[in-house]
Amino acid sequence: MTSWIRLTAPAAVVASMASPAGAVQYLSIAQAQKQAFPSATSFAAIDGRAWKAQAGSQVLGVFVVDHVIGKHLYIDYAVALDTGGRVQRVEILQYRESYGGEVKENSWLSQFVGKTSGSALKVDRDIRNISGATLSSNHVTEGVKRVLAAYGSRAR
Amino acid sequence: MSIRTGVCVGGTKRRRVFPALIAAASILTASNGTAGAAEDASSPSGAQTSTEALLQKLQAMEQRIKSLEGQLKKQQPAEPVPAAKPAAPRTGALEPGVRAQAAGETPGKTTSQAPAKAAGQASPKAPADPGMQPKKPILGLLDSPVEGLAFGAYGEVKYGAFRNPDAGGKWQNGFDAHRLVLLPTYAITPNIIFNAEIELEHGGIAFDADDKRHGSAEIEQMFVDFKIADQFNWRAPGIDLVPIGFINQRHEPTQFYSVNRPEIYNGLIPSTFMVPSSSIYGRLMDGLSYQVQISTSIEDFGSGFDLRSDANGVLLLPGGYAPGITGLSALHDSRPVVGDFRQLSNTMAYAGKLDFRPSFLPGFAGSVSGYFSPNVTPRGAFGDFGNTLGRASLGIFDAEFRYRVPDTGLELRGEYAQVFLGKPENMRANNDTDPTNNVGKTMYAASGEIAYHFPLGTILNSEWEAVPFYRYTYENLQTSGFAGTDANTPTGAGQLQFHTLGIAVFPSPKLVLKATYQKVINRDPAGAQSDSFLGGLGFFF
Repeated sequence: MTSWIRLTAPAAVVASMASPAGAVQYLSIAQAQKQAFPSATSFAAIDGRAWKAQAGSQVLGVFVVDHVIGKHLYIDYAVALDTGGRVQRVEILQYRESYGGEVKENSWLSQFVGKTSGSALKVDRDIRNISGATLSSNHVTEGVKRVLAAYGSRAR
Repeated sequence: MSIRTGVCVGGTKRRRVFPALIAAASILTASNGTAGAAEDASSPSGAQTSTEALLQKLQAMEQRIKSLEGQLKKQQPAEPVPAAKPAAPRTGALEPGVRAQAAGETPGKTTSQAPAKAAGQASPKAPADPGMQPKKPILGLLDSPVEGLAFGAYGEVKYGAFRNPDAGGKWQNGFDAHRLVLLPTYAITPNIIFNAEIELEHGGIAFDADDKRHGSAEIEQMFVDFKIADQFNWRAPGIDLVPIGFINQRHEPTQFYSVNRPEIYNGLIPSTFMVPSSSIYGRLMDGLSYQVQISTSIEDFGSGFDLRSDANGVLLLPGGYAPGITGLSALHDSRPVVGDFRQLSNTMAYAGKLDFRPSFLPGFAGSVSGYFSPNVTPRGAFGDFGNTLGRASLGIFDAEFRYRVPDTGLELRGEYAQVFLGKPENMRANNDTDPTNNVGKTMYAASGEIAYHFPLGTILNSEWEAVPFYRYTYENLQTSGFAGTDANTPTGAGQLQFHTLGIAVFPSPKLVLKATYQKVINRDPAGAQSDSFLGGLGFFF
């Protein structure tokens, strides 16, 4: 039994010392906004979860924050739409679950770029399924479709 | 049992000290509070001051009542409430009205199941931290009684005709409510997540003869994850799956197309391979993640609790016990005990897995994994000739891939698994006077699978998909290198081929209907006699 203690103690120490102040957060909203619209000078709130990105008086697009349930817990994500209502960027802001974190990866998220409210946005059709993260990939895809339906025409 | 008693007594003593400390601390706090209140009341000297103080108190009470009234109003669902402030934006998904605009959308797991309101109307009061409070109803029936507690489920029902080797290969019809699994998850904090799997197998258990149940109820997983960084997370000691192969960790019926799990996971990898364990895991970079685990070793012991002694060894009398590892069922009966301090050795085993999804090959996912135990021999292990059995190490290696060819319906899967036995002469199967179940130095299996995804269109408000597939598996569980006191006359039953052909129809990604024909061939002159034609239903949500 002592080997249990010997081998897990370092991990326990690290866990308690690195005691997290916040969740494993990949990007704050401000950081995600800056990444999506680097040239923006201001973000004017449209409602509680959407901002209009502007450079001076010129509108660059819309930035939307939303969440979906992965397998059990919420995934926070952000969608940046350009003035044509096309997806410019999707970012995962926070992922909480033990499995299915592959939806965070750029190679998967980059598939959303260019999608519009008219796109199919279906896993295994125009978005790849992630083997082993089926629920998360389906739900994020549904979420982006939802954001496009709600804000796709707001950026113009 | 002295060891267990010792543990309990120790635990009780410690528990007594802590409540005493807590009680002492709370008494101190309470007395501080009383002292403070007394000072407040006595400090104002004149009548004027006390009237002012009273007025102030009345005003404070009035404000408090107003704020409480406000809170009450917010809780009433019919009352519209202002939208969340921009300062705290992550406070709920799009309101139901907006969601309804998404054409043909069926958001099974969106946040609120409340009836849709007119578009543009604000959503009800949103939770403070969305990650902590998913209002996912329990199995779609009721709202979760505990905020933050969410339940998922998966299960499998199987039925059909099969050849029963124990009935001379006769075809029989049968049914199995194989498993119903409840998956509670609770975010204690956004970084500390509780997960469990509570499983009822084969219809559950019963002690009454008229209930006729012969299944099990078990804790298949129970652990707490400390999410520290993307690259490094700690899974505290609990019951977890060994990170080996793909299907062992992701064994829900929507992850594979046959009614039964792929053959490799029915012995070489004894799925569901769950063990007392602790691990670290994380994502090293895009497309590359790992898990490293330390666990209680598997044991070369396949008998029930009646043959375990209270000294946590093998009972010498009445004599003889079943091996955990054999040349006929591989590691099927070797999983360690997960409860009651009844493990049969001190040995810890080590496992690790590397998952990769290369960005230059979209649709491809693969993994390599390994498991090593320095000793699988239980305490007091013996052969039937009275010989004691010494240490024997065991290793498992697995490599697999899944490739969904982009922009087509084609999917390919392949897997190779091998078990290495360090000392065959110390394996119980080679010393149990059964000359047919012996093991050599290794066991291995390889399988290849081809499947094609056909969309079936929209039926019953959902997009259906049909996936016909064929899988070939070759297993050799009895290779050369036998050593031990047994005679060695294997029948050829350890060399197996499986032809598995079928179709899986997915009414949604969360539900699958399956039909599978399986032809099993082995080198036994009598044949494997275990072909089957099975139907199945599986779900995972």
